[in-house]
Amino acid sequence: MEILQHLYTGFEIALSLKNLLFCFMGVTLGTLIGVLPGIGPVTGVAILIPITFGMEATTAIITMAGVYYGAMYGGSTTSILINVPGESSSVMTTLDGYQMALKGRAGPALGMAAISSFIAGTFSIIMLSWIAPVLADFAVAFGPPEYFALTFMGLTMVTSLAGDSLIKGLMSGIFGLLLACVGVDAISGSPRFIFGSIYLLDGVGFIGVAVGLFALAEVLVNIEEPLKQVFVKTKLNIRNLFPNRQDWKDSTGALWRGSILGFFVGVLPGAGATVASFLSYATEKKLSKHPEKFGTGVIEGVAGPEGANNSAAGGAMVPLLTLGIPGSGTTAVLMGALLIHGIRPGPLLFNEHPEVVWGLIASMYIGNVLLLILNLPLVGMWVSFLKVPYNILMPLIVTISAVGVFATDNNIFDMWIMFGAGIVGYLMRKLQFPAAPVVLALVLGPMVERSLRQSLTISHGDISIFFTRPIAAVLTTFALLSLFAPVVRKFWSSYRRAKME
Amino acid sequence: MRRADQITGIVMLVFSLTVAYTSWQMPQRVEFGPGMGFLPFWLAVIMTVLSVLLLVDASLRKVAAGGNPFPAPRALLNVVLVIAGLGVFVAVLDTVGFAVSTTLYIVYLLAVVQKEPWVKSAIVSVLSTGGLFVVFQVLLEVKLPKNIFGF
Repeated sequence: MEILQHLYTGFEIALSLKNLLFCFMGVTLGTLIGVLPGIGPVTGVAILIPITFGMEATTAIITMAGVYYGAMYGGSTTSILINVPGESSSVMTTLDGYQMALKGRAGPALGMAAISSFIAGTFSIIMLSWIAPVLADFAVAFGPPEYFALTFMGLTMVTSLAGDSLIKGLMSGIFGLLLACVGVDAISGSPRFIFGSIYLLDGVGFIGVAVGLFALAEVLVNIEEPLKQVFVKTKLNIRNLFPNRQDWKDSTGALWRGSILGFFVGVLPGAGATVASFLSYATEKKLSKHPEKFGTGVIEGVAGPEGANNSAAGGAMVPLLTLGIPGSGTTAVLMGALLIHGIRPGPLLFNEHPEVVWGLIASMYIGNVLLLILNLPLVGMWVSFLKVPYNILMPLIVTISAVGVFATDNNIFDMWIMFGAGIVGYLMRKLQFPAAPVVLALVLGPMVERSLRQSLTISHGDISIFFTRPIAAVLTTFALLSLFAPVVRKFWSSYRRAKME
Repeated sequence: MRRADQITGIVMLVFSLTVAYTSWQMPQRVEFGPGMGFLPFWLAVIMTVLSVLLLVDASLRKVAAGGNPFPAPRALLNVVLVIAGLGVFVAVLDTVGFAVSTTLYIVYLLAVVQKEPWVKSAIVSVLSTGGLFVVFQVLLEVKLPKNIFGF
């Protein structure tokens, strides 16, 4: 019952007028970002770091998390109405959602997307509230070897799942770790890789890198070719939005399976909302009595993936809050934001800053209710935002990013970092290097190095320390397995193909 | 993509060898454990191996796969214009001041890069700059750069 007490405290914090207001702002902005193609949740959260910089830590994280899960709601709207996924996590929703719209059933599709998002989102926060404290308790006893193994596992899992090429994923991750080495070495106190610049003594600024790599690079990719905007004309009214009895019957199973699947996929580092929605769609198709109808506008093809991506957003908070291991680009940016506020996510967070953790968790319950209200009756308003052309939006994204990066430290140098990161980010996208491992490694880098060096100091330089302590051994093994998994999978599939021929 | 990967491989190879050399100069061991050169050196070693792998992998690939990952010159020009403009914006921000440089940069992005009508661009730009000013200077109390005339 201790958890209920914590939750009560959390609600007291989250229901304060200020936090409620910022939670509302966060989820509204999140929905907007979700609706607009060409700007995703990572960009949204990255741009918000500077803006929330002056706020109290709890309020700041409530706002940024709101953007993250709010975007999961908004993403479905464009998928259904114009066949353009607002986010990668709502790609699957286009398959049946858009077909439903073509058949004149856009209303129930939008309604079901919002309702299943709400149910799955709330489900995953309930799971988060119960699982997170238990996991945090377990992890409190971790020493440097366990921490190294854990961060190592987080990095390898994200790296091996990001992008198509394992080599490129690993190069991104290592590049991020090298960036993290810039600045004063925390153990010896001497500077390294600073190229004579006093600005680099504190390391490469995280905000500049995140905003450049995500926000600016996204703009540069989008500016190549203007986005096409096509509309489906449907009458939208609230009565039209509610799914009928048959829709419910068809969707309930898909929704629950999506919620549970999504949560656990979200907890795993590297997978996240997009993978969760793909898996949910595939599962429903496999379990369905009429798999051939998928892709022609069946409602369970909307309910499952939309539930899964929301549930995954809640699941992703578990490793972030309890272990300090973000599992995706967006959660890595959230973690960077927490660190900037002087709050270190990890097992101790629950004892050191219960107000942040429980305030955030409680705000997520509230945020989901707000999102349901925002998305059901007001869906027409969001659709009208689609009429804002990207031409107008683009200069705004660039200037908000640039001024925001300046604003955190009143420092032009950070803008140059953003400028550089933007160019690198654009090249990385074009050359198909995943960007998430860079940011993740930059955030985790200091912890990786400290725990590695402390461990090797304890063991007098013997790396067997990562294999002889039970928890560290399990984590290290997992990390190595996840590294080799893509290689094994590749050989396996080519072997099978060879056998078939 | 093949040629692009080969070039990337070579660039990253040079990069990682440089990092490896630089960090080798730093203390690898101190009295009680690894020194500050330890992690970057080994990271650079792994990166070197990966660069070689990328180079080999790309060279063994059949030429047909992929194609040029970069867009046509006209589209690439847009990218260069946006980023070059940003460079100028950042460079002059401190002397020209927030108000002037932001207004001009947005007009440039709208009218020059995206070929929007000049009047519309000017209106959008003034409104956006005003909005940014209110958010950052007024609400968030950030001291935005000013020029010698005080704006």
